[in-house]
Amino acid sequence: MYIVRCTSFFLLFLLLPLVTLPIQRFPKPEFETNYTQPSTQIPVPRAELLAYLDVLVLLVALALVSWLVLKKRSRLWVFAMSVFSLAYFGFYREGCVCSIGSIQNVSLALFDHSFVLPLTVLLFFLLPLVFTLFFGRTFCAAVCPFGAIQDLVAFKPQSLGSRLNTVLGIIPYLYLGLAVLFAATGTDFIICRYDPFVGIFRFNASFGMFLFTGILLLSGVFIARPYCRFLCPYGVLLNWTSRFSRRHLTITPKECIQCRLCENSCPYDAIDFPVTDKSPESRPLMVKKMMMLTVLVPFLVLIFGYTGSRMQDTLAGVDYRVKLAKEVMALSKMQDAKAGSREPGAGSRKQVQDDSFEIKAYKASGKTESQVYSEASAVLKKFYLGGWLFGGFTGLVIAMLIAGRMLPVYRKDYVTNKGRCFSCARCTDYCPIKS
Amino acid sequence: MKQKIFIIAGLLLLIAVIGIMFTDLFSGKKQEQTNPYDYKMGEIRKTDSNQTAYTELLTIKPALVEIHAIVNGDGDRIYVAGKNGLEIYKGDGKPDGNFSFEGVASCMAIDKRGKIFIGIQDHVEVFDQIGKPAGKWKSVSPESILTSIAVSNSCVYVADAGKKIVYRYDLNGRLINRIGEKDPQKNVPGFIIPSPYFDLALGKKGELWIANTGRHSLEQFSDEGVLNSAWGEASMAIDGFCGCCNPSHFAFLHDGSFVTSEKGIERVKIYSPKGEFTCIVAPPSAFTEGTRGLDLAVDSKDRIIVLDPERKQVRIFVKK
Repeated sequence: MYIVRCTSFFLLFLLLPLVTLPIQRFPKPEFETNYTQPSTQIPVPRAELLAYLDVLVLLVALALVSWLVLKKRSRLWVFAMSVFSLAYFGFYREGCVCSIGSIQNVSLALFDHSFVLPLTVLLFFLLPLVFTLFFGRTFCAAVCPFGAIQDLVAFKPQSLGSRLNTVLGIIPYLYLGLAVLFAATGTDFIICRYDPFVGIFRFNASFGMFLFTGILLLSGVFIARPYCRFLCPYGVLLNWTSRFSRRHLTITPKECIQCRLCENSCPYDAIDFPVTDKSPESRPLMVKKMMMLTVLVPFLVLIFGYTGSRMQDTLAGVDYRVKLAKEVMALSKMQDAKAGSREPGAGSRKQVQDDSFEIKAYKASGKTESQVYSEASAVLKKFYLGGWLFGGFTGLVIAMLIAGRMLPVYRKDYVTNKGRCFSCARCTDYCPIKS
Repeated sequence: MKQKIFIIAGLLLLIAVIGIMFTDLFSGKKQEQTNPYDYKMGEIRKTDSNQTAYTELLTIKPALVEIHAIVNGDGDRIYVAGKNGLEIYKGDGKPDGNFSFEGVASCMAIDKRGKIFIGIQDHVEVFDQIGKPAGKWKSVSPESILTSIAVSNSCVYVADAGKKIVYRYDLNGRLINRIGEKDPQKNVPGFIIPSPYFDLALGKKGELWIANTGRHSLEQFSDEGVLNSAWGEASMAIDGFCGCCNPSHFAFLHDGSFVTSEKGIERVKIYSPKGEFTCIVAPPSAFTEGTRGLDLAVDSKDRIIVLDPERKQVRIFVKK
């Protein structure tokens, strides 16, 4: 397996130099009197039939991987499927459309009814969730190209321990919250903006992007699948759904014989060890804990919600309309200062370039200053409410994590953690019981 | 211990990734605004000095306010025409005469009898060697912009950048026919002339060559207007013609090779009679950036005479 992974990784990087070289194009102009300038061409979207083909491939891949994981219990075949997914959804489809990014489309469609959500995008969002609800995170196992590419570099995976996993595990929730907030307000699709692998899939990564991906993959050498575990916002939804999965991968097909061979088999720390020596907690203690949680949960939701609302300016600062309003305001101040024969920009420490692209576009648009400000003001209002919701969500997540650690757990066997397990089937290879 | 180091390294890298994302999202730092469509000519203007086979021998500074046309006459006398006048120089650069006329000369030719044909805006005026008017031809159209004249034994070819056509006259100014006229019915596309640079010249055997600048090609036509051959390629590279419309001017060496000049990237080059790039006469660095209208002439010793309207000089180049 190690050799196969090394070979795949090597082949992947052999492909990298196949970057499309820029060609110095020089279209001959045509200035004849009757010549009509062609309208600006927008790249043609993928043909509808082919878009549905992608959905079909996704569906087949999900079904096949689920079968391989649950019935065949074959790590080798799951790995082979992940290479296929990397080739198809990654390099051929260039990482788009992807289920992870579809969160933003769905969020925007929910909050902005003028945005039309393509059915194929909705299916890309829903299908992995539906499969997860029945079979666990088989999408993560070998269908997601992000997971596949990270799997190739996990050469020295280390166990991070329960606490570190819990703390780092908060990040995807924050990322999900921010992604939904920014998408719902029409600010930005930050999942796509910080998509670490799209530059590699498309062979067009800038140096900065390549460095960003390189750092992430390098961290993936020691921390297996860092993006999936500690960043992926879609992973949060899959985690939730997987907890309720009807049939999930089990380490052993029959009864666990406590051989402990699988103990260190999971590079993602997704195997829960038996907890048998813990004596049941007393009823008064349980009541006390429950009372504490009853107070703690709303308290954290409120305090984080309030903090989120106070971060309204910071959060809205990402929005292009707010950014423009700030620039226009600074420019206006600068011009006022000039008119008043003061030092240019004396009234404001922040200088603004009156020839920036944004200012040029604003001037060309014919919008008035007050229009720009009123647009920004509307965005700020959205972020006030959004800040409350985002903060409240963060508070709830933290409260639930605390609750999870407070409540007693009893386990007899080694089992996969349904939420965190990627259903990669590594652990099945370690189990001596094969059927 | 080793495991801890791996974990710390992995965590640090992961934190770096999250830090980059967070900083980029919330810092409000504006990305460097560089225009990705900025036309950077610096690199394109560079040439290989080994390809430059000519050197500048002599510079003449005419007294005319503006200079636009140059021609080499009998005895290698250099005729320079421009605003309100014409000056004549000997091959060594010494003045040899001048005369005045009304208007701005945009092109010029001399026939074997020494008659000087000067294109002034929309019409041709004919002078003798001392500047005595010998005729003023009728304007074809007020939209005409005459940019080039060539004279053979029996006719005069005049290029009109305004109407994008070449007129063939007899020596007395009677229009015989039009060459390169756009004819959609016969699928004749006509000349594509985006700027007022539309040159023509007679080749080694007296054949008519016309610069179809919008197509970056030199085209050979019969007197009846039939296109016989063409060559040329649009390219920023040294072996092609750059910009929207080039070559702006051209002339012939005695072996039939083409001497071409371009605007945009100012350069004078030589192509073989088959249209293969041979060498550079003057690289872009030899000219002031933005120079246009580098009219060309060739004398009996194959010295290349370049009219530089920007520097108001006549510059003579010889082989190294």
